[in-house]
Amino acid sequence: MLRKYRFEILAILAIIAFCALFLYTSSVMGNAEFAGSDDVGSSQISKITGIPEESFHPLIWQWVAPSGEIESALFALQAAIGGIFVGWFFGYWKGLKEQVKE
Amino acid sequence: MHIMEGFLPWQWCLVWWLIALPCLALGIYQLKRVLKADREALPLLGVTGGFIFILSSLKLPSVTGSCSHPTGTGLSAIAFGPWITAVIGAIVLLFQALFLAHGGLSTLGANTVSMGIVGPLAGWAIYRGLRDTRVSMFVTVFLACAFADLFTYVVTSLELALAYPAQMGGVGSSFVVFMGIFAVTQVPLAILESVILVLVFKYIVQLRPGILVRLKVFPEGMITAARSDA
Repeated sequence: MLRKYRFEILAILAIIAFCALFLYTSSVMGNAEFAGSDDVGSSQISKITGIPEESFHPLIWQWVAPSGEIESALFALQAAIGGIFVGWFFGYWKGLKEQVKE
Repeated sequence: MHIMEGFLPWQWCLVWWLIALPCLALGIYQLKRVLKADREALPLLGVTGGFIFILSSLKLPSVTGSCSHPTGTGLSAIAFGPWITAVIGAIVLLFQALFLAHGGLSTLGANTVSMGIVGPLAGWAIYRGLRDTRVSMFVTVFLACAFADLFTYVVTSLELALAYPAQMGGVGSSFVVFMGIFAVTQVPLAILESVILVLVFKYIVQLRPGILVRLKVFPEGMITAARSDA
């Protein structure tokens, strides 16, 4: 039983450990903003070059989501597209397997 | 791992685009051939590609007090190799550049090289190195996925360090700084991602072992043994 589900158990343990690690770091690091590492990278570029971040302009025009809400909706859409593919094909495989059994 | 639009000088954008394009062309060629040879490859592509879509949309907090996202490219690199993975990676990155302002069209070449090409290439190299040894299939998958994720961020750091060498210490010291931002943040995420992808791989082995054998992902004996074991 334990051996049969060892990867499921490992995955759950990894998720729990990850959450625990997050709770620990967020309580220890009082000033942690949990900003995206992309932004941290960009501010590091401006630190190295001495050019303020505002002076970096897109080389190619880019649409920027008007608010964080809209951006998170589009991120959810990306995950949903992936979820449809994964669910669709796993379902297809599952169905094929059931058919063989009959 | 996205280099934001405008944050890479145009000369470097061009360099990375020129590296990315032939890899993408090779990927599209291979993709056509694989799908033509075996219709069962399409569902596997859908599942492995779907996980790239899902995992790269999740921005997770990490030990450095910043957030980053896993890449999910390892499984596809194992099943289809790095070039086909580059094509899926580029599609995801294009979506993010167009709709999410994460990375941009000028930096898409650089971001494709890190997440789509070199990361998966590193994972694939680990997988090829371990495939025919006695190392467990699942350990191989775990390590390949973890390296595909981590190397993506190593390459992003390198791309930024090359474009922005520090005044003191040059490219090397710049690289260390960017590694501190990107790669360190990524370690716990890479572990979490790989544990989950191992689980996904187990389900593929249980449901559709035939396609893994036909694509020669792992030797038949190994897959049969894993099926009776799980």
